[in-house]
Amino acid sequence: MRKVWAVIRREFIERVRTRAMWISAILGPVFFAALIFLPMLMAGAGHKNIVLVDGTSSDFGARAAAALQTKDFTVTRIPAGPRVVDSLTLAVSEHHIDGFLLVGDTLLEAGAAEYRASNVSSFTTMERLERGLQQVAVRTRLERQGVDPAVVGRAQLNVDLTTKKISRGRTTEESAGQSFSLGYFMGIILYIAITLYGVNVMNSVLEEKTTRIVEVLMSSLRPGQLMAGKIIGVGAVSLLQFVIWGVSARLLISQRARVAARLGGTQDFSLFEVPDVSLATGIVFLVYFLGGFFLYSSMFAAVGAMSSNEQEARQAQVPVTLLLLVSFMGMFSMLNDPNSSFAVALSLVPFTSPIAMPVRWAAGSLPVSAVVLSVAILSVTIVLVTWVAARIYRVGILMTGKRPSVREVVRWVRAA
Amino acid sequence: MSQPVLAVDRVTKRFAGHTAVDSLSIEVPSGVIYGLLGPNGAGKTTMIRMVMNILMPDEGTIRLFGTEGTGHDFSARIGFLPEERGLYPKMRVLDVLVFLAEAKGVERRTARSRALEWLDRLGLADWRLRKVADLSKGMQQKVQFIATLLHEPELIVLDEPFSGLDPVNTQVLRDTVLDLRRRGKTIVFSTHIMEHAEQLCDQLCIIARGRKLIEGSVAEVKQRHGGRHVTVAFDGATGDPARLFADGRLVRVVNDFGQYAELEMAAGADPQEILTALLAAGARLTRFEVAAPSLHKIFVDVVGPEAAVAAAQPGAVARA
Repeated sequence: MRKVWAVIRREFIERVRTRAMWISAILGPVFFAALIFLPMLMAGAGHKNIVLVDGTSSDFGARAAAALQTKDFTVTRIPAGPRVVDSLTLAVSEHHIDGFLLVGDTLLEAGAAEYRASNVSSFTTMERLERGLQQVAVRTRLERQGVDPAVVGRAQLNVDLTTKKISRGRTTEESAGQSFSLGYFMGIILYIAITLYGVNVMNSVLEEKTTRIVEVLMSSLRPGQLMAGKIIGVGAVSLLQFVIWGVSARLLISQRARVAARLGGTQDFSLFEVPDVSLATGIVFLVYFLGGFFLYSSMFAAVGAMSSNEQEARQAQVPVTLLLLVSFMGMFSMLNDPNSSFAVALSLVPFTSPIAMPVRWAAGSLPVSAVVLSVAILSVTIVLVTWVAARIYRVGILMTGKRPSVREVVRWVRAA
Repeated sequence: MSQPVLAVDRVTKRFAGHTAVDSLSIEVPSGVIYGLLGPNGAGKTTMIRMVMNILMPDEGTIRLFGTEGTGHDFSARIGFLPEERGLYPKMRVLDVLVFLAEAKGVERRTARSRALEWLDRLGLADWRLRKVADLSKGMQQKVQFIATLLHEPELIVLDEPFSGLDPVNTQVLRDTVLDLRRRGKTIVFSTHIMEHAEQLCDQLCIIARGRKLIEGSVAEVKQRHGGRHVTVAFDGATGDPARLFADGRLVRVVNDFGQYAELEMAAGADPQEILTALLAAGARLTRFEVAAPSLHKIFVDVVGPEAAVAAAQPGAVARA
């Protein structure tokens, strides 16, 4: 056990000493901060200066301009005429105004209007314009039919749908958007982390093979001790990385109002809803991360032992990464319907469950029994896969020369 | 005599297409320096790998310390310097040494103090905090040599320990090996450089094509396989021994090395007669020595001229 401990410590210390470790430790929070603050800054710059070209024969143009005049838009109304469009197009291209609306009688009759601007891809701007025009059009049409304006005003009261997730019998404050983003981020982080640290294990095996230090190590340690120490050591580094990310994310979220004020952005956090990560969710995340890491890193270790250089390893790892990719690809479908039979299957199959289960857990409410079943299947598989991987590792690590065929690998597993 | 530290009994190892080690038996007594000699591709490294349990023999048994078992079971009692050197290039020298000692089960603090002591002794103390990759090849080899000794093994197995070292470092390593023997350790080393074997070995074994050709102490081997020899050197070109002894009555074989010549005496010949013959021919002798033949000569004789060509390239890496 002391020998395994020596291997663990070497893997851990040598990795923590590398520059790559600290770059990713710092880049994580930077990325996270960008995710929170960038939308806020962009939302702050959302005010648009537009011109309404009034081609109507009634007072509708004036009413529309008045209705659009909100905190989002500054509206200048000018009557339609020859060459107006040309001069406004020039004004847009010279950035004097953001865009202009062409409103005519057809709006009331056929519901058609036109907006020209240099940037027409902002969904929020388009939606606000459309909604504003819609409301004025509806009100004007109804009034022309003799409906009391007060009645119209009351009829137009918006429905504001607030979503609250019922999780394990309790109504939470979590919205649908939060569930989605939580599941989405957990899936992405799990996928990246399992791949990253799995490949780390593979490269470490390969390094010992290519530098031939493995011959010395094999005269000191058993292959199982070396492989176990390696996987645990790299796993410990990944946990440290998560702790750094977790703590910095917590800090950023708790301080975000202050930072946002400093940066001059809005105080509107609706654009990026930070989900409330419960303790249970944290535990599910960690359990599946560790499970997935052990499962995949032992496969990566076997791949490293089978190959004699990096190119070979890169090829040989493809089946393993594809296996992991399946659950990543299924993520969107699972987020849309966490209880579909597809999602249930993915969260039980041990090769996909490390990503699928946390995603489903975050997206919907799952009974604890489902998680227990999935963890049990995963654990049994880890034992089996590690056993097979250790046998491949044991033989492969001292092999040099040409890459073994599948049949040879099967023989290693049987014979070792 | 106590039981052998290492006993290899009729071990055979075949690879696809050829037999690397062919029913080889050797015995290494305790407390000696044992040389495993042979040309490139003779099977030395394969043999050592089998002793270290890196390869499994196809046939035969290997006993270590009198017990059936291999490198693993006695890992703490054996130090191993593999032919293909390897250290973690990105680690610091001291850290590598401590780790490798820990992997052998040495306690961390002990490993550290021993490593520092050895680094100091081999002149690497200033390099202890540098990365392995910053060291020259020769320095890396010394570091790896230290790594084989930190757990104070009883049996030290060195595969081509001197390849790639300059004369100064070769001397340092040679002194260390001799010192280890003085302290009661058993050392097995392989080489194809006869000079090293001649200087160090108590016992040796010459193998070629996986088979044992000669085994025994250096003196025994010389006596048994060398015949009797006279080494002569002339002042200038006053005599040509090849022509002088062409009749084969006194001398069986002449090995003319240029600066001196080695004469193998014919059966029943007396060195005095050779001296008389040389003086009668008017040779101005600078050296006349009745001596045992060099290991080099024995090696060339038993292994054959084909292998001698390969053995003359000390830099070449033997692949078994």
